[in-house]
Amino acid sequence: MSVEKTLPGPAPVPDPAAGRAAVAGYFGGIRDVVVLEMKQRLRSRGWYIMLGIWFVVIALVTALTWAGWNASMEVRNSMPVPDGMPEPDGPGSAIFEVVLAFVLLFALLVAPALSANAVNGDRAGGTLAILQITLLTPGQILWGKFCAAWLAAIAFLAASAPFLIFAVLLGGLTPGHVLVSLVMLAVEVAVICGIGVGISALAGRPLFSIVVTYLTVAALVVGSLIAFALGVQLTQGTVMANQPQYKGMEYGSGTMPGPGEPTYTCAGPLVEQDVLRTERVAWLLALNPYVVVADAIPYPERTVTPYYYSGGMIENISQGARAAIAGPEGTYPCANGQVQPQYLKQGTPLWPLGLVLQIGLGGLLLRLGWRSLRTPARRLALGTRIA
Amino acid sequence: MSVAEIPETTRAPLASGVSAVGVSRRFGSVHAVEHMDFDAPAGRVTALIGPNGAGKTTLLLMLASLLQPDSGEITVDGLDPARDSAAVRRRLGWMPDTLGVWESLTAREILVQMARFYRLPRSGIEARVAELLALVRLEDLADQPARVLSKGQQQRLSLARALVHDPSVLLLDEPAAGLDPGSRVELRTLLRNLAAAGKSVVVSSHVLSELDEIADGAVFVNQGRTVKQQTIEEAAQQGRRYAITALDPAALAAKLTELGLEFQAGSGRRPSVSLMLSHDDGAAALLRDLVTAGIAVVSFGPASGALEETYMSLETERK
Repeated sequence: MSVEKTLPGPAPVPDPAAGRAAVAGYFGGIRDVVVLEMKQRLRSRGWYIMLGIWFVVIALVTALTWAGWNASMEVRNSMPVPDGMPEPDGPGSAIFEVVLAFVLLFALLVAPALSANAVNGDRAGGTLAILQITLLTPGQILWGKFCAAWLAAIAFLAASAPFLIFAVLLGGLTPGHVLVSLVMLAVEVAVICGIGVGISALAGRPLFSIVVTYLTVAALVVGSLIAFALGVQLTQGTVMANQPQYKGMEYGSGTMPGPGEPTYTCAGPLVEQDVLRTERVAWLLALNPYVVVADAIPYPERTVTPYYYSGGMIENISQGARAAIAGPEGTYPCANGQVQPQYLKQGTPLWPLGLVLQIGLGGLLLRLGWRSLRTPARRLALGTRIA
Repeated sequence: MSVAEIPETTRAPLASGVSAVGVSRRFGSVHAVEHMDFDAPAGRVTALIGPNGAGKTTLLLMLASLLQPDSGEITVDGLDPARDSAAVRRRLGWMPDTLGVWESLTAREILVQMARFYRLPRSGIEARVAELLALVRLEDLADQPARVLSKGQQQRLSLARALVHDPSVLLLDEPAAGLDPGSRVELRTLLRNLAAAGKSVVVSSHVLSELDEIADGAVFVNQGRTVKQQTIEEAAQQGRRYAITALDPAALAAKLTELGLEFQAGSGRRPSVSLMLSHDDGAAALLRDLVTAGIAVVSFGPASGALEETYMSLETERK
């Protein structure tokens, strides 16, 4: 054995134990940075104040939504119920959607504040070089800062979890909804934290990087919708379709079609129809955190026709986004002479694409940030001193 | 087995100190350091002296492996910081000129964190930290948040932080700034002890009289260039300015003229004269001559430190 090792030739097989030790050392370094960051965060009073305000605001939103739902139920119960009208969902679904939307909104607002000065704040305080001079690698510093920012943001999500669970207890939802939505919120917050930490490593001044991170969040939330709306105008195209023949249109004739079942048949010659080929720009919608979260959450089971039911907000966002990515081939009535699936039957999800794009953006910024943390440094950001 | 046959990895690099040969670094159009040479051998305290903006901090950042020189070579105990960065960092202790502390952590926690970052064995960290706290006299404040420490105390904490992994090369940027006289004396003793233990100690400072006592050698830099590199002995031998005051300045002037010495009226508050003397023997002889001639000498001593003399002469050359 020892003879073989001394022979010249291919590189010896790396010792698996040494490899494990190296990996453990790498993660140990990240953990040490996280410990350092968390100690500092947990000792700042501002963090607790923010957490307290967050809790109170979400409690208020939950209470108001519940009160609002109760009030609307009273009005509804005082009127005669039409035949075939489904029993409304419990208040859980409505509260869940409103609370989820608010939690996501606040998470998108809080995450940049927690992450976007992680690196250049240290640079300004003269403590970044103290880390760089040690055995820590740029990757360990960056991942440590990212994990610390993310953990701090997760604490905010944890503070809002009671209200989401409250919504489930009020009925209409499964614990799976809460789990999926919390996981998706955590992923979205991670994306924003990654963007924030990456930008903070690239930008010289904390104020600048925080503003840029907020603008990036705004671009993802609002800009993606505007870009989609504008982009869709440029996607004029055609599709071959024939004429739909709607059935069951006369009141009381025969059976109503079940939910999601086609309400028409296709007949006649295929004719070229002008349509918007939305699938070409649907990826812009996938950049939107709301779309990704809404699309990833499963809908409650429906047993009645959508004729009576206007779906919840989450459901509508999700189906709208899925219809956009399906394009006219999958949504235009009788495109290519095919009966198209109805509402709630668009099966192709958008959220995996959204996660890939968003994580790609965060990963790219982290990668660029990592380059700026390498030492010995070749280039410095303008106007920065390294120490 | 000859040396050449020993694999690279098993040959322990000698503790040869830190050196830079022809390093340059520019920031945009500003040439912070231009073709600078610097050598700080092990076992000695080397002073890095120069006016503000001379490139001292930039040079120290490059020596500390934080900044890549545009050209030139840097070696730390014979190792290249760009290639063997982990090995170099195990050997380097760096105390920056800007006071960066994690304000909400206590002094003890800061040192423990640093020990972790240097991957010191966990079992030894507590004892090592206690030892360092005693060394810089911060035991009483060890469990206070660092933000309550005074500037001088933070400076001492910063020194302890640079020493946590027992480095063989110590780079100190203005270590005496903000220290009270007592702490300065302690710093001097500490640095002499570290050098005696075989470490290479680099000190940048403006307080030249301080460096006379600490440093074995000095490197003078100005406008990004190495202007002069000399040992303290060389500095002392190049002659030094002495200031003399007497009860009767006229008699003193007459005697000095008689001895054929060039002198000038001093700039101090008391009427004094100052003159260049090439070495200490000459000074002793002159004092004896003056006293035996009956001149009532009140004070007789070096007007400046040896390094200050070099520094001021370089300043004059520049003008």
